[in-house]
Amino acid sequence: MFRRISSSNYRLLTSTLTLMAFLTIWEIAPRVGMADATYTSQPSRVITAGLEILSTGGFGRDVYVSLSEFTIGFALAIGIGVPLGLLLGRFLVLRYLLDPPIMAIYATPHLALLPVIVVWLGIGMQSKIAVAFVGGVIPILVNTMAGVRGVERSWVVAARSFCAGEWDVFVKVILPASLLSVVMGIRLGVSRAVLGVVVAEMYQSQTGVGSEIMRYGSEFRTDYLLFYVLLVSLFGFAATSAVRALEKTLWTGGK
Amino acid sequence: MDGREMKGIGRWKSAPVFLGIASFAAILLVWESVVRLGWVNPFFVSQPSAIAASLSRSAQSGELWRNLAVSLREFAIGYGASVVVGFLAGALAGRFRTVEYALDPFLWFLYSAPLIAFYPIFVIWFGLGIPTVIAIAFLLSVTQITFSTLSGIQNVNPLLLRAAKSFGATERDVLWKVVLPASVPMVIAGLRLGIGRALMGVVVGELFGATAGLGYSISYYGSLLKTTDMLASLVVIVVLGVLCTQALSALEARFDSWRTGPDS
Repeated sequence: MFRRISSSNYRLLTSTLTLMAFLTIWEIAPRVGMADATYTSQPSRVITAGLEILSTGGFGRDVYVSLSEFTIGFALAIGIGVPLGLLLGRFLVLRYLLDPPIMAIYATPHLALLPVIVVWLGIGMQSKIAVAFVGGVIPILVNTMAGVRGVERSWVVAARSFCAGEWDVFVKVILPASLLSVVMGIRLGVSRAVLGVVVAEMYQSQTGVGSEIMRYGSEFRTDYLLFYVLLVSLFGFAATSAVRALEKTLWTGGK
Repeated sequence: MDGREMKGIGRWKSAPVFLGIASFAAILLVWESVVRLGWVNPFFVSQPSAIAASLSRSAQSGELWRNLAVSLREFAIGYGASVVVGFLAGALAGRFRTVEYALDPFLWFLYSAPLIAFYPIFVIWFGLGIPTVIAIAFLLSVTQITFSTLSGIQNVNPLLLRAAKSFGATERDVLWKVVLPASVPMVIAGLRLGIGRALMGVVVGELFGATAGLGYSISYYGSLLKTTDMLASLVVIVVLGVLCTQALSALEARFDSWRTGPDS
């Protein structure tokens, strides 16, 4: 083997050590005058800022607003992306018709739509929900489509020869067989939707985590800014990991 | 599976191309006519003919080319740097597990962080406009390329490595003659995904911290509520995205024959 078998202890040790080293340098550099703490901040300052933010009442409201925008937008993305993907995967003519526009949107950085969506839907929650939806729906749609197309042909033939109708084939063969790709699309969509909500809030907004990031950024209160950035990263990472765990269960649970 | 489905619609090979063009034409036609018929307010959606006119106007005045040049330069530098750094980091991490474990927490942070949030700090460090946008594009794209290179190198078929070793290949031979060629398809896939992220970085960076470029012009016309000019810039970005992705897909298809694995 090219690489030795990895031991999880060694991994944990190395990651922790480098992270500690990084945090130490980050903490010490401004103290010895090698960096300006106004722009680089320090771990201790970020913690202090975090505690201060957590103790104020506005924090809960901001998180609530951002979370509900994400949840509604992403639920819509799943609710529309999966059925549409199933249809497009099943019906060839429909796919040929809709594939080029979908691919064009896929290749476009979806956040370029942000100013357009703001003009259409205003600066309230609707525009953030729309950005989260657009970010999430495309990977879900494309992966669902690919999942349906990748279903083993012989299973469909086998089901047909046992007199299964179109609907039976769809529900009992195609749906279960493409489930894994659907979940993978959802995993890819999560981080795009999270980013969408935050950037949309940064762009034009009165409330939410993104608008706080924007406010602290323009005031150069780096400590507070970093706390929110860490919070968003952690949320994105946790949500992606959760879907990844679901994917693993499906791999092993489906025998 | 596709081959069989095709029977239903005849053995007409150009069907996808034809239907694709037809669908674009239909979208443009419906869009143009609903506005002309007065069913939809052109203030919100504009119309294809007006967008085309706006594009030709800005092409003649040179505004289009100036914005395109700024965005392309930012993209080329940011993406180019991320390819070099991402490939080297990914190759080192794939070769030495200590490097992989050491980089791991930072890569995951960079991958899931809303990097655009750092733009006020970047403006202080690098200056408003082009340098800040380049930094954001670089950071968005570099993690993707590192991850892909890393997994490409880790997933080299162990049989190939054993075969090379049993014929007396040194570590260096293994690296240059087996590992790197075998990981080419994954690396190229990473390059393609990186293009999308770098383009995203350019556009988002320009929405916030820039004074020129395609993203800036979308945001600028958006704030003036000039929908037609805003959508014209968006069309240019869509075309740019499609062209870049198509180019890399073509490259990917060319290198696909290199793919090695237990299944091939």
